[in-house]
Amino acid sequence: MSETSCYILDNGGYTAKVGFSTTNEPKIVPNCIMKAKSERRRPFIASQIDECRDASGLFYILPFQKGFLINWDTQKTVWDFIFSKECCPVNFSEAPLIITEPLFNFSSIQEAMTEIFFEEYECQSLLRINATDLAEYHYRKLNSNESTVVVDSGYSFTYIVPYIKGKKYKDGIRRIDVGGKVLTNHLKEIISYRQLNVMDETYVINQVKEDSCFVSQDFMADMEIAKTRGSENTIVKDYVLPDYTTIRRGYLRDVVKPDEDLEQQTLRLNNERFSIPELLFRPSDVGIPQMGIPEAIMEAIGACPEENKESLLENIVLYGGCTLFPGFRDRVYNEVRAFALDHYDVNVTLADNPLTYPWEGGKFLFKDPEFYSFCMTKEEYEEEGKALAFERFDI
Amino acid sequence: MASRESGRVKESEKRRVLDDAARKRRARKAIEALEQDNFHEDPHADLVMSKKVPKFADSNEKPTRKKKTRSAEYYKMRFRKTFAQLVEEDASSRSEPPNYLSAQVPPSKFPDRHFCAVCGFPSNYTCIPCGARYCSVKCLGTHLDTRCLKWTA
Repeated sequence: MSETSCYILDNGGYTAKVGFSTTNEPKIVPNCIMKAKSERRRPFIASQIDECRDASGLFYILPFQKGFLINWDTQKTVWDFIFSKECCPVNFSEAPLIITEPLFNFSSIQEAMTEIFFEEYECQSLLRINATDLAEYHYRKLNSNESTVVVDSGYSFTYIVPYIKGKKYKDGIRRIDVGGKVLTNHLKEIISYRQLNVMDETYVINQVKEDSCFVSQDFMADMEIAKTRGSENTIVKDYVLPDYTTIRRGYLRDVVKPDEDLEQQTLRLNNERFSIPELLFRPSDVGIPQMGIPEAIMEAIGACPEENKESLLENIVLYGGCTLFPGFRDRVYNEVRAFALDHYDVNVTLADNPLTYPWEGGKFLFKDPEFYSFCMTKEEYEEEGKALAFERFDI
Repeated sequence: MASRESGRVKESEKRRVLDDAARKRRARKAIEALEQDNFHEDPHADLVMSKKVPKFADSNEKPTRKKKTRSAEYYKMRFRKTFAQLVEEDASSRSEPPNYLSAQVPPSKFPDRHFCAVCGFPSNYTCIPCGARYCSVKCLGTHLDTRCLKWTA
């Protein structure tokens, strides 16, 4: 029993990363159903959104809530689409499946996952695993290190997971309830209050966030720059909003004088550009009583055995959508460096491709000679039922 | 009697100051708003919509995917649990940490920073009625005209 390729589905709360291990890179498709104002006849499932001409006022129906799979009907519809000819067709009797789940996934969700893949999709062999496990495996394959701290800053939340000799150290796992969704919603809220009501424009404002935000290296100094007027202010920019006739995706441009008005609809972005990602570092800025990422990394490492701390600090790896903000890695490094004791080395690595890092980890894992011993087969499921899944998969 | 009172006394009585509980309630609402998938005028109506899948029923797009496989609707009924139910269930079945609840990071050791509710720059002052922060007389004016005691309760 050894197939030549394996189907890997990194099932995120906002996007699913999917593809065969033989392909170079996965397809990234939105893990949701969207409904546009402009097209009343049909909803858009996952990557069908590319066919939507006017993405203003998109209404989202997401299978995930707070990072957990809650709306199964939505998820089933999206999966049916993903596994169909339209997206990334697969025959589960021929290829094993690796699918990711959130850390500490609730047991009834885990049961449902096992059931749906064995009974509905008729998988031959199944591996349910945390995305952070795949990321750690990826990192360990490349660096042959002993311990790793994986920081996954995604859509629903940010997880910090220490691994010691390839096993996750559960007492050290920490979660910050800030992710891309909170950032987009907060940006939407302040733009709506200060300039233009964009409360219904999650899709567009998410792009504004991706295109204009950065992580400040010295927050208070940048605040001072943002206060200045004229050419001294290097932060203030205008964001040209998409109109879905000539501009499909908005972009950032320098501020022009009022008399050079280009008749475009713009948003003026000043301290918004860096105070939004700042929430990852100081959630208390919006009243979420939690630590920021660097402090939480120290907290997580602090919960680990003394003899592993040195190795953990030397191998911190970051991935997930929020790590794409410019300056993210440097800020994490600088703060962790400042917190850590002087005689320790600190290394912080940003994954090469932060969105697909776990998916690529799945490719490496499939090549592991012991791969099939991690999986569960349909025969085993029929013989021993769901209880075996709980034993085998350490979610 | 009433006519002999000074105008200012009356005014100060009228001025409502939110108590601590109301301020906390507001703060909690603001945080909850950050978790929403969609925003509409009425957040409660929205909550219902995202659960019931809005406007889908009246369009022709019911998941009527031929096949003899089970419909999406079946799985909705089969695994019907809300997030709150799941957390509760988890807390009783996996009561020993580490679990979902224990993994949440504690509050930061650093003091909170304060930002003007209007312009977002660092602020030094607090609005007396509602506790929002502001940085200048100009921003206070905007705040009083727009949000102070006006949105939600």
